Amino acid sequence: MKKSLYETDEAVIEGIRRDDERALAYLYKLYFPMISHFILSNSGTDDEAKDIYQEGVIVFYEKTRDNSLELSCQIKTYLYSVCRRLWLKRLAEKGRYASKLEETDSFVQVEEDTSQHEEQERQFGVMGEALGQLGEPCRSLLEDYYINTQSMQVITEKFGYTNSDTAKNQKYKCLQRLKKIFFATYKPGV
Amino acid sequence: MLEYRAYEQIERYLNGEMAIEEQQAFEALLHTDVRLAEQVREHKQLLDSMQKYGRRQALKQQLQNIHADMEAETMQASPGAWKVFWNRHMQTVAVAASVSLLSVFGTLWSVQQLKAPVQQQTARYVELRREVERLKKTQTAIINGINDASKPAPRAAAFSGTGFAISADGYLVTSSHVVEGADSIMIENKAGLKYKVSEVYRDEIHDLSILKVSDPAFSGFGKLPYTFKTNESDLGEKVFTLGYPREDIVFGEGSLSSGSGFEGDTTSYQVSIPLNPGNSGGPLLDDKGNLIGVISGKQAGQEGAAFAVKSAYLLQMIHELPASTTMAPMSLSKHNSLLGVSRPQQLKKLKDYVFVVKVYN
Repeated sequence: MKKSLYETDEAVIEGIRRDDERALAYLYKLYFPMISHFILSNSGTDDEAKDIYQEGVIVFYEKTRDNSLELSCQIKTYLYSVCRRLWLKRLAEKGRYASKLEETDSFVQVEEDTSQHEEQERQFGVMGEALGQLGEPCRSLLEDYYINTQSMQVITEKFGYTNSDTAKNQKYKCLQRLKKIFFATYKPGV
Repeated sequence: MLEYRAYEQIERYLNGEMAIEEQQAFEALLHTDVRLAEQVREHKQLLDSMQKYGRRQALKQQLQNIHADMEAETMQASPGAWKVFWNRHMQTVAVAASVSLLSVFGTLWSVQQLKAPVQQQTARYVELRREVERLKKTQTAIINGINDASKPAPRAAAFSGTGFAISADGYLVTSSHVVEGADSIMIENKAGLKYKVSEVYRDEIHDLSILKVSDPAFSGFGKLPYTFKTNESDLGEKVFTLGYPREDIVFGEGSLSSGSGFEGDTTSYQVSIPLNPGNSGGPLLDDKGNLIGVISGKQAGQEGAAFAVKSAYLLQMIHELPASTTMAPMSLSKHNSLLGVSRPQQLKKLKDYVFVVKVYN
């Protein structure tokens, strides 16, 4: 991997839009030390630093992918701002209010982006739990069809159904159950 | 079974797999059937959510891989527990260290500042050897030059002090700082006796020197009127001294004001006699005519604080003498003729044994 390939922010963004895995890896490695330093300076651990940083990267990645990112500053500053915001929230949840945050960089306002991300996280948390409660083989069946977009034929063979109609019926049953479990706990944010 | 059909229909609609007429019919149905519309919305959200969830899980996995990859890369240079600790607390440690350094040196400095003026006042010990003015010396030279140019001018003494006899056969004592760096030493008393002497022993620690008359014309001092006191004198005892702070002999009287000397020096006394340069080496006697010490110096800037070396150290030195030199043991005076006599009578007897010590170099 040549570093010079992603020297500018624009190149990195372009790479992510092209679904270039190396661009993401490059970005990830570039700014991890900065965030790690920030979290560690503000009573965090290595694991927490990793957690927060990954969330920050996901926010940036998602925004970049659906072209809704209006970057008015460097990626570095944006990532720092998001992680800072997320870490403040995390500290508040832990009941530890940082009286004074040890700032290691400048930051911009990103409340909208982080709250949107938190809403998604909540939704995905519920989805993950719902899928967990669903149990096998329903979970694999749905994942294979909807997430991995495998054809009905493949699924029929894999799960040993007599024909694709049975498989389809089974799939709808599973979907019905998932729907019940999911909407029982998840209410769209207001 | 019907429900599944409905699901399939909804999915086909959402995926845009319906034919145009069928789609239009379905949309028309949606407008009238609220329950169906609700179901479609829910279904869409569920599938959306599930797909996004799947993608998110994949992304997270990818980031985990990148992270693991990064950690593996930096494993060689991976910081130890100490490094982590240091990174985390570096600033705190730095601040703590600088605060402690600052306070330590600040305290040292301020203590030094407070002590400095006091020290200046107390720390100066003045040795009372008299420096004979240069002016006078040059003046004499000029007068001599006028009178007789061919005759070499007699050199004036550079320093002078006081000394006194300790035995009849020509031994004297003075302060060693008086005769320091001397080329030749002369003594002279009130009666006009004048002898050349040489230094035979020196004790720098107690500031004492023993001189011996080396003049062939010398026939002895005669019997000494005073004795030497071996034990310590008491506080408040009346003491006096004779000395040569100027050309003539000068009497000084006071009392023993402390059993220790300059900065707690236990080898000397403090006496309240006003003394001047030239008094050094003079005898310190008590009322009964016992020699109790040798005048050595005073404290600068403080009146009435003069010091005298205790006689015990003088005696100790006298006893050491035969061992370190080839001299015969000295016979010290045993008879005190000053006892019970009035002060002027004491001085009359005493003054012939006190000499001005002139140092030439």
